[in-house]
Amino acid sequence: MRPQTYTTRRATTNGSGWSRNQNIVRHKAKSLGSISNAMIVGLLVLIVGLIYVSQGTKATNYDYELSAIEDEISELEAKKEDLAVEKARLTSIASSENSTVAQTMEGASVGGYAE
Amino acid sequence: MLNRNKVLRVGLLLVMAVIVTRLFFIQIVEHDEWLAKAAAQQTLQSTIVAKRGEIYMMDGDEPAPVVMNATVYTVIVDPMLANREEIETQLNQILGERRMAEWDEVFADKTRRYYIVAKNLPRAQAEQIAKGELEGVWLQGNTERVYPEGDLGAKVLGFVNADGVGQYGVEGSLNERLAGKDGLLRTVKDINNVALSIGEGNIKTPAVDGENIVLTIDKTMQHNIERLIQEQTGKVGFSHISALVMDPRDGRILAMADTPSYDPGDFGNVESAEVYINHVIEDPYEPASVCKTFTFAAGLEYGVLTPESTYVNQGVTYVDNWPIKNAAQNPGLLGTTTIQTALNWSLNTGSTQALRWLGGSEVEINAQGRERLYEYFHNHFGLGQETGIELYEATGTVMEPNAEVYGIDSTYANMTFGQNMQVTMLQTAAGFASVVNGGQYFAPTIIAGKMENGEFVKAEQREAVREAVRPETSATMREMLYNTRRTWRGNGTDPAGYYVGGKTGTAQVIRNGAYVLDETVATYVGFGGTEGELPEYVIMVRVWEDGKKAEGDTHAVVVFNALKGYVQDRLRVRPAATE
Repeated sequence: MRPQTYTTRRATTNGSGWSRNQNIVRHKAKSLGSISNAMIVGLLVLIVGLIYVSQGTKATNYDYELSAIEDEISELEAKKEDLAVEKARLTSIASSENSTVAQTMEGASVGGYAE
Repeated sequence: MLNRNKVLRVGLLLVMAVIVTRLFFIQIVEHDEWLAKAAAQQTLQSTIVAKRGEIYMMDGDEPAPVVMNATVYTVIVDPMLANREEIETQLNQILGERRMAEWDEVFADKTRRYYIVAKNLPRAQAEQIAKGELEGVWLQGNTERVYPEGDLGAKVLGFVNADGVGQYGVEGSLNERLAGKDGLLRTVKDINNVALSIGEGNIKTPAVDGENIVLTIDKTMQHNIERLIQEQTGKVGFSHISALVMDPRDGRILAMADTPSYDPGDFGNVESAEVYINHVIEDPYEPASVCKTFTFAAGLEYGVLTPESTYVNQGVTYVDNWPIKNAAQNPGLLGTTTIQTALNWSLNTGSTQALRWLGGSEVEINAQGRERLYEYFHNHFGLGQETGIELYEATGTVMEPNAEVYGIDSTYANMTFGQNMQVTMLQTAAGFASVVNGGQYFAPTIIAGKMENGEFVKAEQREAVREAVRPETSATMREMLYNTRRTWRGNGTDPAGYYVGGKTGTAQVIRNGAYVLDETVATYVGFGGTEGELPEYVIMVRVWEDGKKAEGDTHAVVVFNALKGYVQDRLRVRPAATE
């Protein structure tokens, strides 16, 4: 009896047989071109730049608002001071002495004290 | 073709070389200079001006502002841009009498592009001008000191000069506290000069505003004392009167007046800078016989005399062969005389005798007597040294007891009646207060506290600096001064229930190194209050005029009486209940 041996199918195939295996795929590395790379980098830089500019503009807008508010505060403080001065003038001794009420008052000649 | 390429290449290289060289210079060699230029263009740096503190006086129990800040405006015209007809019509209407330039003058030279037509314009008028949007007209805002009470207390307050620095009075002496500390703003800016928060190294140090100081001066009292002394100049006929009212219980100054005075809002408009001097504190003089109070108080302290102690008054006594005479040559006063009488009649022989007794002698003045007198005059009563008040003050001079000078004994004899020494009114009044208030010396003060966020924060309770005399000595001196006043003014002057005492002084004046005969300075210092209680006020008055003779018992006492009546009412001093 002739001895029987088992040989795998792959072992029995030769080089040409391997090439016929339709399930085996050889992938080839693909890469972007230099122009694409540059465009992507440029785009990224543009996005970052836009973010920076938008933030900067936002901050500047706040600065403008702040400046306007500070001006308004100064203005109001100055007005408050003016009013305080006006009040002080109106309640000054000279104003009281020259008031119409004071003009009609009689001078005190003798001081007295209630016991 | 090859040559043309070569030429182009070389040409380009040359251009590149020029650019690179220039860049090298800009970036390396001139780096700092360009950096500075850029920084100057992009950086906003400004001082945040601190607000100068306001000054208040007391109005009853509440502080009232007497020096404030206000924004005033300067109106500037650029004649090149301005339409004369338009601005003339509008500005004439708004400015009225405030206009300080004639229009012909303003438009005479159009190349002069900056012409001030009005100053110190209030906000309301400035706003009217701003609304008009006149071309070639602009407004410049400045902060200015304003005085709602006018010239009230000018000598105490002082003023702020054009550089913003306080001069004289509180403005000068407390300038640092009032001025505050300016802040700093340094940031990146944009083209509109708006400070931007982006960028590195931005700095904003806020300004620290000046303190709002409250003075112890009673506003109403100050006003009336100023009015009264002004009236009195006419009545007694002397150009200069100075007056001081203080509370002897804690050294607070209630009023400090000096005439003639000036308007601090128009401080440049004076005939002489002499008017800025506050004679109460900055002008030492010889207060004369009011110092007998100090001499006899020292004698009481050392136990060498009592009001009843006697000596023989001959009308004159000799020291260093120099005659010391009494002003009162009444024959009835000659002979055996008490110290009380010597005080009543202001006998110089009596105070000179007290100096002899201080030295343990009946007939001579010696080192011990001088040392004892100096100890009390200088160290206890504070004569000849600064009182510590928060104002500029003169030191004055009290000669040391062992100074190696000719006539030291006669100098000291003169000092017993307030001559041959230079002291300020304030020193004298503070020393006098310590004699009559129970014996405690309080350093005079003009600061009652400060205003913080609209609230009055009172200064700390004041403590006596030292015991000037014992309480018993103080009580005896009050009685002696009360008797002296009654001797001179009669029993009717002071109403019953009030306890008022005082002492006159008439000092000769030194001119060109020698005492002159035709000029004297009059002084009166006194205290008052309810009978049986400690005094509630001390008033000191000084009257003088160059080339005129002012007398303590004729002129100064009249002014004192006028002030005393008012002060008594203002402080609501109640008379003691009578049975």
